[in-house]
Amino acid sequence: MENQLDNTRDQIRTFVVEELARRKGIAEFTDEESLTENGVVDSLGTFRLVTFLENQFNLRIADEEIVHENFRSISEIDRFVNSKLKKN
Amino acid sequence: MAYLLNQLLTKSAARMPEKNAVCARGRSLSYRELDEQSNQLAHLLREHGLQNGERVGLFIPKCVDSIVSMFGVMKAGGVYVPLDPQAPLDRVAYIVRNCDMKALICTPEQFKGLTAHDVGCVQFTILNGGAQQTEEENGSARLIPWNTIKSFATSHGPDCPRVTTDLAYMLYTSGSTGRPKGVMLTHQNALTFVNWCAESFQVRSEDRLSNHAPLHFDLSVFDVYNAIEAGATVYLITNEILLFPKSLAKFIEENKITIWYSVPSALVLLLLHVDLKGHDLSSLRVVLFAGEVFAMKYLRQLTELLPRPDFYNLYGPTETNVCTYYKVERPRLAELDRLPIGRACGNTEVFAVDEEDEIAKPGEVGELFVRGPGVTPGYWGDPEKTKKSVVPNRFQVHFEEKAYRTGDQVILGADGNYDFVGRRDSQVKSRGYRIELGEIESALLSHAAVEEAAAVAIPDEEIGARIRVFVSTHNGNSVTPADLQKYCATRIPKYMVPEQIEMRDTLPKTSTGKVDRVLLASSEASC
Repeated sequence: MENQLDNTRDQIRTFVVEELARRKGIAEFTDEESLTENGVVDSLGTFRLVTFLENQFNLRIADEEIVHENFRSISEIDRFVNSKLKKN
Repeated sequence: MAYLLNQLLTKSAARMPEKNAVCARGRSLSYRELDEQSNQLAHLLREHGLQNGERVGLFIPKCVDSIVSMFGVMKAGGVYVPLDPQAPLDRVAYIVRNCDMKALICTPEQFKGLTAHDVGCVQFTILNGGAQQTEEENGSARLIPWNTIKSFATSHGPDCPRVTTDLAYMLYTSGSTGRPKGVMLTHQNALTFVNWCAESFQVRSEDRLSNHAPLHFDLSVFDVYNAIEAGATVYLITNEILLFPKSLAKFIEENKITIWYSVPSALVLLLLHVDLKGHDLSSLRVVLFAGEVFAMKYLRQLTELLPRPDFYNLYGPTETNVCTYYKVERPRLAELDRLPIGRACGNTEVFAVDEEDEIAKPGEVGELFVRGPGVTPGYWGDPEKTKKSVVPNRFQVHFEEKAYRTGDQVILGADGNYDFVGRRDSQVKSRGYRIELGEIESALLSHAAVEEAAAVAIPDEEIGARIRVFVSTHNGNSVTPADLQKYCATRIPKYMVPEQIEMRDTLPKTSTGKVDRVLLASSEASC
């Protein structure tokens, strides 16, 4: 668990790069960059990301939580995941 | 009666100046503000030398200023060209050059990216959003902060008379030869559709329309111009809402949207990922969809969950906007295998032509042709392509007239409704986007390592079609699918970049030596 908390951001970033961005040919983006504006995340991508986060971090993400505020950027997703992990 | 699109705004602004015209990202503009600001922008454009008929690119994320820009350009006598804010800059630069754009409205970030490309035809650029600088010279392109419009007169637009057959805007769509093509649309083309919609859907000033489609997509023509025509309010849906179904449902509920128009896949997304029973969507009275086939099972579920609104299937390529419509009859849904595209809209005629070049009989397959004032004059700067699609109507014997051949195969049913049965060529729809498989193949073939490339479409109930690509490379080349995806993204829009690329030593051929796409598609479908 400790280990997970340390590198959630890396794991999220790896998934977004390998599974979402690369398929769209997007190579470089920062952790702060808006994934909805730069085209990395599309509507189906959002749900693949949710499934990944639930499986990888053993979380349950409610429909209400699948909103822009939590998924805007790598940093925001990381913040969101860590806040969930701390509650567990 | 308005004969120019911009007159719709002038009229509504005179009738109801303080009513909200457009809302997005927490900002809204009243009819008076929209009218005044677009007058100011028009003055600015003319002052910097824009002439009648010259093209202005709109390269900003969807916001209320996008709507100011559309009207401002038309009031200046210009032609606006909405550009996909997420498109590769190489493609944007191509469009800029292709239509010889005189001016651009873009964000400072996008402008910075574009300066690395050849966009030398642009004489001046208006910077919208981001850090606003003072006016400065940058090479040959003059940079003007958006706020500069404030120094111009608000009360009326510049005097630059136009006629209804002048171009109002251009929309670039996927082209089979590897480059996008600019569909030219006149004021009359758009008004033919807008007038029919106003009548058919009884759009009123109390209505609250959503705008789901991007502005470079022709579905947005209805949302924006029918709202303005009626003195209603249009709510622009931005990516931060669009990509999150729960937020989208909330958006409809909170803004009490009465008229919705989108591609079916947007509605399927809502259906599959939101408990619609938990939302009060009772404000909806009309739900329109277009752009791709709506899977019947999802449409049945949606109409059950939303018992109140009338549902319409609208059909038509960008070249004609919508040309046929079908009002969904709920009791008949259970017995239908596919939803008809219906019958011709007002002031439009459609007919199916068979392989002998005769009108196809009911029940027989024919290619759909469209005639009437809604039909495009053609493709910008491409008389060859125009000649192939906008053809003399041989059934009009008394005078010369053009008709648009859609490339769509249809069958006229006994009840007078047309059914869509397929394409004559390799154009496909995915999430409502029109994609020429040839354009994807061209992009791949332009890569030095690629020897052969074939793109095939695999039908998909949720998004219409998924694109699979098969590639063979020159001997000994170690290029990876990821390399090719990255390369494609610099040439074609993200929605066209193939999600899966399969490397093969060689591609299977038909007896005539062509790549066997049917075999590839079926091998894929069976895996």
